[in-house]
Amino acid sequence: MWILRIDMKELSYKLEDVPERYRLLYGRALTSQMIFDEVPPLCHALGPNNKLVFSAGIVTSTSAPTSARVSVGCKSPLTGGIKEANAGTSWAPDLASMRIRALVIEGFPEQGEKYWGTFISWDKDAGKPKVEFFDATGYTGQDVYDTFPKIYERFEGRISICSVGNAGEKSYGNSGIVFNDQAKRPSRYAGRGGVGAVLASKRLKFIILNEKGSPGVDIVDKPLFDEGRKKMIDAIRSHAISKPKGGLNSYGTAVLVNILNEAGGLPTRNFSSGRFEGAAKTAGEAIFETNKERMGKEIYNHACSPGCIIQCSNTYYNTDKTERTSCIEYESTWSLGANLGIDDLDDIATMVQLCNAYGLDTIETGGTLGVAMEAGVIPFGDSKGAINLIHEMGKGTPLGRILGSGTETTGKAFGVRRVPTVKGQSMPAYEPRAVKGIGITYATTTMGADHTAGYTIAPEILGVSGKSDPLSPEGKAELSRAFQATTAFIDSSGHCLFIAFPILDIASGFEGFIQECNGVLGTNWTAADIVAYGANVLKVERAFNEAAGIKAEADRLPEFMRLEPLPPHNQVFDVPDSALDAVFKEM
Amino acid sequence: MILDVWLYGELRKFSDTPNKIGYGQMLLDVPEGYRMRDLLERLNMPTAARGITFVNGNLSALPGFQPDLEHVFADNDRVAMFDLRSMWPFQYRNGAAMTDSMRQAVQEHPEQLMHHEHSEEEE
Repeated sequence: MWILRIDMKELSYKLEDVPERYRLLYGRALTSQMIFDEVPPLCHALGPNNKLVFSAGIVTSTSAPTSARVSVGCKSPLTGGIKEANAGTSWAPDLASMRIRALVIEGFPEQGEKYWGTFISWDKDAGKPKVEFFDATGYTGQDVYDTFPKIYERFEGRISICSVGNAGEKSYGNSGIVFNDQAKRPSRYAGRGGVGAVLASKRLKFIILNEKGSPGVDIVDKPLFDEGRKKMIDAIRSHAISKPKGGLNSYGTAVLVNILNEAGGLPTRNFSSGRFEGAAKTAGEAIFETNKERMGKEIYNHACSPGCIIQCSNTYYNTDKTERTSCIEYESTWSLGANLGIDDLDDIATMVQLCNAYGLDTIETGGTLGVAMEAGVIPFGDSKGAINLIHEMGKGTPLGRILGSGTETTGKAFGVRRVPTVKGQSMPAYEPRAVKGIGITYATTTMGADHTAGYTIAPEILGVSGKSDPLSPEGKAELSRAFQATTAFIDSSGHCLFIAFPILDIASGFEGFIQECNGVLGTNWTAADIVAYGANVLKVERAFNEAAGIKAEADRLPEFMRLEPLPPHNQVFDVPDSALDAVFKEM
Repeated sequence: MILDVWLYGELRKFSDTPNKIGYGQMLLDVPEGYRMRDLLERLNMPTAARGITFVNGNLSALPGFQPDLEHVFADNDRVAMFDLRSMWPFQYRNGAAMTDSMRQAVQEHPEQLMHHEHSEEEE
């Protein structure tokens, strides 16, 4: 295993052995530790001292199901704190298969106007990866749906692509890093926190992998791994949410739209209501039924990455059976739908496609447009106007550049008081005034408002459950701490977070999850060990944030959520600050 | 009195608009004292066919956990039912509003609070 460092100032690279202290660190655990160790917390996120670290998970590139995730870490230009964003893509196992534990992009080229690409392949004779550079300036300023086919044409064999779109090239706080999906679409994003701008600041347009001939990852205890793998597969394939033709495979993540709407927790028209009258037209059920009507048959979802057996990614089709976009996630149909008062599914799909094409994060984009609508730039419900504003962002007009800076900056630019952000990052699709547990996680996660920071693993399995009432604020704080720690471990394992659904309910699945990791690493971890592993990730991330000036006082929701009752339940966020502070005080 | 009934996904086949995309919605005129059990009977819907259920935005049932059969409706109540493919993970409903019967049932059976039913009965 190596750490591969690419120096963009010298256009050179070197391979280093993985130091002993990183021996068990993968994925988010490694990206966060390396950012903590190597990036000055007060550096400018787009300056020469920031670094970008890529790392695949513990079981990535093995036959473990649904495990092709790669973490991307850096100092975030959006939040000013540490960032880990991850994606499911063939790029992840290809990186791991070449035994690159961490890929570090550092330095800054002298000629700022020129962009580069790197091609990383396996040097069979030398028995290690090699890196070649090429001039990628001619690929800039373009729709990534245009550049990806050119790269597939240019490089022979099966390659995987990592790239950045216009949003990153224009240094937006709202910019993701894009990877290919299984159909070569540029649609799998490590989307949040402006990681795309950091990659573009290094003037690196492409990181292309061809793992042909590479040895793959070692598995220390293959029988144990196989036993764990089988348990995981059985759990995923039998659980109602994750099984074939189950919830995620049928309706995708957008299955949550109608649920949150009925619960009064679907943020609507820039977080001014919890219920949207047009929600059902934008939901997973509507996507499934519209496809059935247009295609003449039921269309079940597909895998975003190799080895995924949950397969939750949808494709949305036009009336002429051509593809309009892939895929419409819950967060996207909400942010560009209910949050904007828009119920036209075709226009929402167009906006998703444009965000992908320009390299924008759909959550941040919807949050920003909601604030812009509140400011009167365009009215709520104006889907064509929203499409035009996304084009302005992609093309970099003066207005587009303000919007591309993100929700919080847009709120300041237009003097809007209702700005739904935490630590500068736009809030996802669960209203904290209606779902108070998620509000605690939004407030306290190291990432800024993040719906993926605290997935549920049963506390009785983890052995971390205290005696407090889980319905009380104190109980919710305790749960949030446990959930955030275990989520940090899942983010390090390489598994998709959606394995949390079956392993929450099926004990053998949880056992299998740990056995897989122990099998690969030769460890003897227990449930308590993985909680401790995840907790250490959070400690490192919080230490970086504190050194960057983001202290416990930043663990708060925006004030309007404590002042404005949210219809239809007419509740404010009333979790006391002491409960928010308790989340990490005791860790 | 009037009930505003929303049936999502596959459950729309129990509505009078079964061909609508994604959901069915009906306004039903029902007598005083009408219960969830009565509504299911009128819809010809086996209670096991439904999963997550709401009354006025308050969670009243989860898949395989239905403490709401005796729930008595009031005029203009909004009732929403989801099919068994639907889901609402705990982290996204922790702290959401519940009906009194659901809250009481969860206190008596706290193990139901966090988990999602995954038995073969859902097949």
